[in-house]
Amino acid sequence: MKKLLTIGLFTVISIYGYSQTQQIDSLKEVLEKHEGKLNALDDRVLVNEADLSKLNKIKVSGYIQAQWESYGADLEKTNGYNNTFFIRRARIKFTYEALDGVKFVLQPDFSTGNLALKDAYTVVNLPKLKNVTLWVGQMNRPNYDVEYSSSSRELLERARVTTTIYPGEREVGAKLEYNGIKVPILFQVMVMNGDFTGTQAKAVQSNKDVMARFVYSVKLPSAGVGIDFGANHYFGNNLAKTNQYVKNSNGTVDSLNNVWRYLDKHWTGGEIRIYADVLGGMSIKGEYVAGLNSIASAVASTSTMAQKKASPNLYNNFAGYYITLVKNVGAKNQAVVRYDYYDPNTKLSGDAANGALYYKTWSFAWQYYLNDNIRLTAQYTMPKNETNATNLSDYKDNLFTIRVQAKF
Amino acid sequence: MKNKKILPIMLILAFMVSVTAFSQAKITVKGSDTMVILAQRWAELYMKSNPQSTIQVTGGGSGVGITALINGTTDICNASRPMKQTEIEKLKSRYNTLGVEIPCAKDGVTIYLNEANKVQELTLKQLSDIYQGNIKNWKELGGNDVAITVYGRENSSGTYVYFHDEVVKGDYAASVQTLPGTAAVVNAVKKDVNGIGYGGAAYAVGVKYAKVKKDANAAGYSPTPESIAKNEYPITRYLYMYLRNRPTGETKKYIDWILGTEGQRVVTEIGYFPVK
Repeated sequence: MKKLLTIGLFTVISIYGYSQTQQIDSLKEVLEKHEGKLNALDDRVLVNEADLSKLNKIKVSGYIQAQWESYGADLEKTNGYNNTFFIRRARIKFTYEALDGVKFVLQPDFSTGNLALKDAYTVVNLPKLKNVTLWVGQMNRPNYDVEYSSSSRELLERARVTTTIYPGEREVGAKLEYNGIKVPILFQVMVMNGDFTGTQAKAVQSNKDVMARFVYSVKLPSAGVGIDFGANHYFGNNLAKTNQYVKNSNGTVDSLNNVWRYLDKHWTGGEIRIYADVLGGMSIKGEYVAGLNSIASAVASTSTMAQKKASPNLYNNFAGYYITLVKNVGAKNQAVVRYDYYDPNTKLSGDAANGALYYKTWSFAWQYYLNDNIRLTAQYTMPKNETNATNLSDYKDNLFTIRVQAKF
Repeated sequence: MKNKKILPIMLILAFMVSVTAFSQAKITVKGSDTMVILAQRWAELYMKSNPQSTIQVTGGGSGVGITALINGTTDICNASRPMKQTEIEKLKSRYNTLGVEIPCAKDGVTIYLNEANKVQELTLKQLSDIYQGNIKNWKELGGNDVAITVYGRENSSGTYVYFHDEVVKGDYAASVQTLPGTAAVVNAVKKDVNGIGYGGAAYAVGVKYAKVKKDANAAGYSPTPESIAKNEYPITRYLYMYLRNRPTGETKKYIDWILGTEGQRVVTEIGYFPVK
């Protein structure tokens, strides 16, 4: 009996042991199978991560500005309507950071019925020259008001002097920029075609324009104050291709011997910005620029002398400035006031200044940041023009604008 | 007449003050993952002794915190790297201030190795080569003949940026496995005999750290209170708090507490190093 019991027990243990071994083997198999699956998943995750990291190098940003404008009586006469809705900007900016220190930027502008290329440039960090970058392509000219994006700017439009001397803001050329970290200096020098209108791809003349800008930043952390100040100089020219007549700063139309003469274009500017941490932050921003501007006549070379004389090349001493006060009110609101002045010809006044009247403009704006992406702006702009015997009073060209900006 | 002129100015000032005061009723803190355990401990202790205060702490990385500061969705940003010039420009543009930078602790960026790893010390150049993919085998560094598994952080991390700027000084290799948070890096190295990672000193639990040498001839240092205080450890950095404006009210009280004896004691307790 005992023997039978022992044999039975042994058999049960053996069967149990065998089944346990079988189970362990089968578990091992399952584990190996799952391990294989996990390894395969791991590989796939690595591949996906590598693909995603490529996508991470592409940044897409942009903004849309939709606005309603209401015009003064004289603007209504010119336009034929006294108010309108319109899309001022619809832009998408693509930035691709191919490698550390190599960036490509492409920014088209989709305005109604039009598609234009705004930015197309490459930025390269120069090897061994920390903080020095080389920019090549179509980009903003090195000027604070120009480089300050419309999507961030506190007022709806740039100062009149800026829009006049830097039409379209962009130029085609090459820029070298030093942006110091330990030494708070910004230095930019740009060589450009100098005659970019936004439509022609190549230069229309051989001479190139050069612009340099230097900014130094001072920080006074204990006082909560920061000051940026600097200067810039533009040196270039315009080619008088088709017209031998030039109207100079004194308003005199002169005849030149050679139509292929270069008309000088040069100016010097000074800039200052003061940021102060006062009850929510405020800043005062100002820029003054003066010099000589020229515009080559667009009359055809086959025009008559009388036609050419009536539309000569222009050659003007000019001056302009702006001063802007921005005050943050809490985290969501901003009050802004700007006074700007622009005189296209400082040598002429009174009746002689017809066609080159100076403008003094007050702009008042209130901004409300609804959230990270949406900003609402209400602005009242009051341009006041020079008066004389011909222009007896200020034009009724005040402008009220409400803008909604969506930025992403 | 004089009073009539002053009254509107006083009203505007009162409005501005009240708007500023209301915005500080509750303190939100966002940013560095390296600092999140420290910031949470600060908040816990401060709220215990100041029950009227509510401090909400979240991580996400220094980059996320700085973006939140610029977008106005956090009151305090924790960052394990200094703000970049482009970020300061955004702050200037949106708030017309330069922001306020408050160094609140010191950290030695620690090089985590698995406890079974034979390698004891590494130079900055070797670290750069490992992370750029130029050194791929532990044998080249005196270890076993096995491939190095390199772990790192996501690009929103301040430690990622700091390590890139101060150590790697080039492109991270594509083979670097990016992980969300320092704890994940430590965990990965703990499990992986061939792993290497970097991160804040406070997280180095269950792993060993490599001594770091400025160059091949220099002495190697561990991130100890002494080497950090004397700036001997080659990858010593400050940990920062950033604000849009100079702190007032409850925020100022909280920051003063952090920089005071109690707050700095917590820094040491967590595993970082006091600023003074």
